[in-house]
Amino acid sequence: MYLHEHDAKELLARYGVPVPAGCIVGMDTALPEVLPSAGPWVVKGQISAGGRGKAGIIKKVATREELDAGVRSILGRVVKGRRVERVRVEACVESSTELYISLLLDAEAGGVRVIVSLRGGMEIEAVAATEIRSEVVRLDTIAIADCVVRLAMGYAPAAAQALREAGAQLANAFVAAELRLIEINPLFLRADGSWVAGDAKVVADEGALERQPALRTLVETQAAHYVESAVKLEHGFDYVVVDPAGEIGLLTTGAGLSMMLIDELRANHLKPYNFLDVRTGGFRGDPTRLVNVLKWISAGPKVRIVLVNIFAGITDLGEFSRLLVEAMGRVPGFKLPVVARLAGNGLAAAREVFAGAGIALYTDLDEAVAEVRRRLEVA
Amino acid sequence: MFPRIDGSTKVIVTGITGRAGRQHSRIMREYGTNIVGGVSPKAEVKEVDGVPVFVNAVEAVRETGAVACVALVGAMQLLDAVKDAVAAGIKLLVTPTEGMPVHDAVEALELTRAAGVLWIGASTPGMAVPGAAKLGFLPHDSLLPGPLGLMSKSGTLSYEAGYRLAQAGIGQSVWVGVGGDPVKGTRYAELVPFYAQDERTEGLLIIGEIGGHEEEDFARVLIEQRFSKPVFALIAGRSAPEGVTMGHAGALVHGNHGSFEAKRAALTAAGVTVFASLGELVAGVRARL
Repeated sequence: MYLHEHDAKELLARYGVPVPAGCIVGMDTALPEVLPSAGPWVVKGQISAGGRGKAGIIKKVATREELDAGVRSILGRVVKGRRVERVRVEACVESSTELYISLLLDAEAGGVRVIVSLRGGMEIEAVAATEIRSEVVRLDTIAIADCVVRLAMGYAPAAAQALREAGAQLANAFVAAELRLIEINPLFLRADGSWVAGDAKVVADEGALERQPALRTLVETQAAHYVESAVKLEHGFDYVVVDPAGEIGLLTTGAGLSMMLIDELRANHLKPYNFLDVRTGGFRGDPTRLVNVLKWISAGPKVRIVLVNIFAGITDLGEFSRLLVEAMGRVPGFKLPVVARLAGNGLAAAREVFAGAGIALYTDLDEAVAEVRRRLEVA
Repeated sequence: MFPRIDGSTKVIVTGITGRAGRQHSRIMREYGTNIVGGVSPKAEVKEVDGVPVFVNAVEAVRETGAVACVALVGAMQLLDAVKDAVAAGIKLLVTPTEGMPVHDAVEALELTRAAGVLWIGASTPGMAVPGAAKLGFLPHDSLLPGPLGLMSKSGTLSYEAGYRLAQAGIGQSVWVGVGGDPVKGTRYAELVPFYAQDERTEGLLIIGEIGGHEEEDFARVLIEQRFSKPVFALIAGRSAPEGVTMGHAGALVHGNHGSFEAKRAALTAAGVTVFASLGELVAGVRARL
């Protein structure tokens, strides 16, 4: 779960990390009377992706008029497929030095990769290897903080001091909040030796939400900004709108197969609306998940057809097909045509159920996709 | 490195009294897996479908001599199940559970590595030696004894690929679902030496997906170890949006990190044939094996 910068900074501030004074402005909220500072400010579009500066959704502004215009120009922009629905207005930091520090869960090593550099402000991939110091240590608060102390040795005293302080605070946050990544880039070091996190990238672990109340509350209260995590938390499965203008609603199970189907549809110039791993194994005779999914899919403004693809290893397709037909009846006004591809256990029973409900059934995925194309072209 | 798995390998199932534990124990036994015991910390029952139930893996191993364990417990209970299996001296541990907290996975990895346990998972459909035994969920329709080594992050995509290949007459030697989590017990690269020396294996297929750099690491190891059998790959998620976790916790692209293009480039440079679709995969593998 890739946090918006605003939420990342609020999280890190709780662990003592200094951040520039800032406030959040949404689509329907006005700028507050009392601004975070007297100006100048930075207006920063909030999306769960990097490269925001290059995409033009980070702007420095000096006057109140520029601020208003900046906020208006960034809100509503679509960057990397995500609509900017809120901006953080932040006191601009006049900096003399930009440093870099990050903690990354290193999956291969099974530890934490600690990276520091005096060349902050750039993407770390663009910094020469000789200007980066990095080490992998155990997932342990003291081990991480000690590592930053070691890595900062030999840096100018003020830079080393700032990195050491940041290291200790970030280590606490990383372990206590069970994070996968914290990146502070740039870390602004002022001439007087004080420092502040200019940007903050935090990736949290969805698997740990159950025992991370603060993050869980964030997902619940900001569900509109963490749609996928909120769906998973509330409903227990994964659903992602991959193209708001998509025409094909997908009712699929399994992350890999669902991703592959989206890839193949797009390669064939078809427009899938959503990714779905509905986890048929978790239905337990209840059509609620399917009812929800059909509602969400039918809410897609351009969705014209539903493609079902279930490869049943364990799932009983007879039961699945009955639940699907029941769910279709429970969605008021559901009229989308449904093309299904089913394979595996219980196919004969499913064939009977679908025949009764007028759902086209294929056992070959390519044939089902061809039928979807035919229907879209005819309509 | 890889304990020998066949129909005589003794296996215990942690969580056998649960819904999934009981169901999959039955299905695994139908396939030929030799399940000799179950574990349930509460152990309210003495047996499940004729399989004796013990309070922990230590006792189960002492009584049955099991060497392998399949843990079918909730995500928040999984770390305890791993600790129990390690303490019991289990050699091969398979954990299909999805959603294990990543920091728990780091601890589990430290423990299993230190003890020399081969841990497959979490978030894995399991593994199988087709025709002999399976540990986990792999559907019987997709399993067919044959020459292709298969490793996969995704369960369903590998079921589909395995099924289509089996329909085309191409079966598997040893099938390992490494799983979709970022931090996991066994990664593709670690099994390269096994598949290199395994005589049943004439070619290797990895089914990958966006996120992390496991495919890139695998490509590097193929080159370093001069792996000489043909290698094929199918990578899902090339059209996934950045910054969104696509179902699997490991399937998260940020920046160029974990992107489809980075993976394709690394694999191609290592001589791997990368396919863009399931249909091309089946035709391509059939042409080479």
